[in-house]
Amino acid sequence: MMASTQADTRVNGPARAVHSPAGLSLGLGRLFLRYPILSRVVSLGLFFLAWEIAGRVPISYAFPTFFDTAYAFGTMIADGSLISAYGSTLQPLVIGIAISGVVGIVLGIVMGLSRMAEWLVAPLFIVLQSAPMAALIPLITFVYGIGLAAKTLAVIMLALPVIVLNGYKAVRNANPSLVAMCYSFQGTRLQQITKVIIPDASPVIFAGLRLGLAAGFIGVILAELLITPTGIGDLITYHRSVANYAEMYAAVVSIILVSTVTLAALEAFEVRVLRPEKRRG
Amino acid sequence: MFKGFACLKAGAAALAISAAFIASAEAKVRVAFGDIASVESLHLLTALERAKEKGVDIEVTYLKSEDIAAQAVVGGQADIGVGGPYALVQKVKAPVRMFLQLSTLRFYPAVNSEHYKTWKDLNGQEVAVHSRGSGTEAIMKLMEQRQGIKFSKISYIPGSEVRTGALLQGNVKATIVDSAGRRLLETQAPGKFIILPLEGVNATDEALFANQQFLEKNAADVDKIVESILTTWREVTANPAVVAEWRTKYKLLPDLPASQTAEIVPYFTELAKAKAFPVNGGGAAAAKDDFAFYTLSGQLTGEPASLKVEDFWDTRSLDRVLSKVGTM
Repeated sequence: MMASTQADTRVNGPARAVHSPAGLSLGLGRLFLRYPILSRVVSLGLFFLAWEIAGRVPISYAFPTFFDTAYAFGTMIADGSLISAYGSTLQPLVIGIAISGVVGIVLGIVMGLSRMAEWLVAPLFIVLQSAPMAALIPLITFVYGIGLAAKTLAVIMLALPVIVLNGYKAVRNANPSLVAMCYSFQGTRLQQITKVIIPDASPVIFAGLRLGLAAGFIGVILAELLITPTGIGDLITYHRSVANYAEMYAAVVSIILVSTVTLAALEAFEVRVLRPEKRRG
Repeated sequence: MFKGFACLKAGAAALAISAAFIASAEAKVRVAFGDIASVESLHLLTALERAKEKGVDIEVTYLKSEDIAAQAVVGGQADIGVGGPYALVQKVKAPVRMFLQLSTLRFYPAVNSEHYKTWKDLNGQEVAVHSRGSGTEAIMKLMEQRQGIKFSKISYIPGSEVRTGALLQGNVKATIVDSAGRRLLETQAPGKFIILPLEGVNATDEALFANQQFLEKNAADVDKIVESILTTWREVTANPAVVAEWRTKYKLLPDLPASQTAEIVPYFTELAKAKAFPVNGGGAAAAKDDFAFYTLSGQLTGEPASLKVEDFWDTRSLDRVLSKVGTM
């Protein structure tokens, strides 16, 4: 282990010159290199410390300390309000992501394979991706009302363009030598698509799914804040309206936490299954 | 070299201008509304115009919600806010105080007469209110208590106009609407909906509030605003039709569509008949009513009797003005 670390530093020779040659920083650097989790813990710890100090100053009457927020988080888990809130927040998210995933990947692949489909559909999604969705979400209510359908649609509006565009670019940029190889081996068009293009494109398609999920989280929270307050959106609005700021921050932090953990899990899955070559990096 | 000087000069000029802006902003009384201006705020806008005539420099901004207006006042970006920041004062000890009650909650529990006729019929049924912790929810909970009934579920539909529409379309059978919604129900489907009786609910809907420091330092301006509002409220109560004249006189809400212009007089007539304008500005009596009501709604915590008026209200300006214009 030690030998390999040294070998690494030797390979990355020029980088050494930037670091101070001896002392604490090198020790810390080595420690972080060996236990990458440590650097994350320290980084989070420093952030929480800054938060606690800012809360104690206080920078605003409406800004709770870190410990108050953590305590509120604990009580909200204990009384079940946070868990039941996720029960209703995850509904439109899961439905929306499932629809966007299936529709997005199919559309992306079709667009990647056919110029005609690309001309027809791509501009719409490029516009959608750059549109300020927060301004469009209230418009959904005019057509779809204020129920689950409207919230699911909000998730789809944010997640679908990312998934479609990633899928389309992945298929369009499939390795041409592999495609040529398939052709030389007299592969049919169907074999070319199913055996060469899609497997080659799958890592980027999957990355699109991951980004789509991240966008879906934004969509569901926007919908819950802008359409009707349910789930986490309800906890945020309610606690804000009765000035329980620690609870409000706890709800906000919890959704960041849930989305981060979900995305990290997806990324780990992606690296393990689809891109083994990335693990070394 | 010259370019550098020019830059410096421009920078200095910009600094001087921004300093001038800050100075003028300090002289101005910045009022933050928690909602966009509508027919419902015409009388308040009139009163503010009258305060301007008395020499108070007022600048009005419209924010998205009452919470944000309250934050603006606490943070010093506005001087006077419109709303009822009881929770903010109690829970985070924000140094703001209410100094004038503008309106009391006026809501009408409406039910579809095909399904329900009285409060007792609502036992075990679902009702729709504005949002969790809102005044409409508190009213329904209060009536639940008084009538000895229990709703099966309270659902949340923000916006009185949305609830009115849902009631008309048959999506909800029992809800609570504002006076505009009530009139819409009566004109769209006469006799189809019953307004259930609601007595003894007398809580602040909106009040004016400001930082304690501001109230101390600008007592003269605050007195002028309070006096303008009180006299305007008394005039509206005596003759609600005058609001339409004020709108033309002070050129208020010039872009109002005709359908809403027609609403002005009926709206104020109904509120005047219901004595909805606090002609004595609320004060300690209003605070006591609010303690009882808002502890029930969850905005305030603790025993209503243990809450102190001076922790939430600064009635000095109101007292001064009332001694001048008299109580009604």
